[in-house]
Amino acid sequence: MDWNEFGIAVAETAGMTLISAALAYLVGLPLGILLYNTGKKGLRPNRVINLILGTIVNVLRSIPCLILIIVLIPLTRGVFGRATGDWYTMIIPLFFASFAYVARVVETSLNEVDQGVVEAAKSMGASSLQIILKVLLKEARPSLLLGVALSTISILGYTAFAYDFGAGGLIAKAYSVYHSSPMNYLSKPDIWVILLLIVAVVQVIQELGLFLAKRTDKRRIAK
Amino acid sequence: MPELEIVKLTKSFGGKKILDEVSLSVEKGDIFGVLGLSGAGKSTLVRCINGLEIPDGGSIYYQGELLCDNKTRISSAKRRKIAMIFQQFNLLEQRNVLGNVELALEIAKVKDKKIRREKALSCLRRVGLEEKAEAYPSSLSGGQKQRVAIARALALEPEVILSDEATSALDPETTQSILSLLKELNRDLGITIIMISHQLGVIESVCNKVAILDQAKLVESGDLSDVFLSPKTDIARSLIYADHVTTDLNEHHFIRLLFDGNTDEPIIANIVQDCSILVSIVYASTKVIDGKVYGQTVIKRPKDLKEREKLKKYLKLHNVEFEEVKSNGLE
Repeated sequence: MDWNEFGIAVAETAGMTLISAALAYLVGLPLGILLYNTGKKGLRPNRVINLILGTIVNVLRSIPCLILIIVLIPLTRGVFGRATGDWYTMIIPLFFASFAYVARVVETSLNEVDQGVVEAAKSMGASSLQIILKVLLKEARPSLLLGVALSTISILGYTAFAYDFGAGGLIAKAYSVYHSSPMNYLSKPDIWVILLLIVAVVQVIQELGLFLAKRTDKRRIAK
Repeated sequence: MPELEIVKLTKSFGGKKILDEVSLSVEKGDIFGVLGLSGAGKSTLVRCINGLEIPDGGSIYYQGELLCDNKTRISSAKRRKIAMIFQQFNLLEQRNVLGNVELALEIAKVKDKKIRREKALSCLRRVGLEEKAEAYPSSLSGGQKQRVAIARALALEPEVILSDEATSALDPETTQSILSLLKELNRDLGITIIMISHQLGVIESVCNKVAILDQAKLVESGDLSDVFLSPKTDIARSLIYADHVTTDLNEHHFIRLLFDGNTDEPIIANIVQDCSILVSIVYASTKVIDGKVYGQTVIKRPKDLKEREKLKKYLKLHNVEFEEVKSNGLE
């Protein structure tokens, strides 16, 4: 067993997952805020804009990730000069596959914020921007943090497709173990190490999200 | 010049009229009660004053200037002068008590952190919650939460406080303490208060004026003592005497004696003694408003015609207002 190889695989998976997640939030967070605010409960309800954004999000979410990667090959090639073979070539398709999902997750978190608090801020003469920054995002923070964990884990799942494009990562490594000995791959220790590593990574992300959400949630802490 | 003047305010939701040409005028320093059954339009009325709802028609004037109508939106500056407190308190759960009060100041773009803190603390002192400054709302009782909301309302030094069922989620004892706090703010700071409630007792214990809304329309308004002493409309009667309905006496005729705070004589006892009429009391209620005793006593009308005339003469002579009512006139 080459531990160095495992290390590289973990790094590749982490790299494509975290960078894609960060980019997905860069776009998905504002998009989610926009979705919420143009919706019925939002600060500036606007059926047309909401419908357009909602349609884009729904269409993107309904395209299977693998197809999205194929469709986006020209774009990836344009940006990196190549579309396959390295972990970072996955960033663009993973980003496209996930920002719409992130937008919905963010929208759902914002929907949970008590309308009364928003009204109170309005009654104080708060601007929409003030309400978003000081009320909505603040009140939704624990739920938003849980959403980050959820989204990141779902992106981690998408990294499986990296195998098809030679982009590496842990899941691709599992495939390669299978291909190298399809008859008895389950007796190879490598496959179990990979399994354990993936479970561990998912658990770490999940628990970190939960921990941060609980840590920052002031609803249950009595001082 | 009235502090707030509402002129023919109209508002509908989905074709249903919630406010139908409601007009009323609130003077500076009033504690103006708006009473009505749920769905009568009370909440919509105050929400229009604060710009949380946009009226379909009519206009609202604040200190003589147009505040809003269906075209003009209320300005942020004026919104800050008209603070609002809510039934569900509407505090930010993720901010501590001090942070909640400071929010109002942040929204008003008070940049200096120290000034914000000082101001917020002084408002908390005013409502008696300074020691809870660092606590989070989830650890507070309902009454304490409403006090924080009041401190938050005070932070911007409002001229008017709109109270939308602010005590309806509280137990009677806490309700009284919140009401006396509001009364104190009215007295000490001259803040005009508009108080929405479906609870008669709330309106009765703090307001000097009252308006009664029923099915989108304003049916009565005026000084509390006038409206409560002699309600003119059926709905007002049913609201004011709601808990005193007796149905088993419907066959009888009654006389309602009204006390307007001027008499300190034991009228009923005197009737018995002076007229030798045996009065049978069906219902009696007195209330202390602004230190004077008001109230009503409903008695059975004497069957004997002579006795009846004698009684009426006696009441007129002693300036006791009265009216004859069929059944007990209370429902």
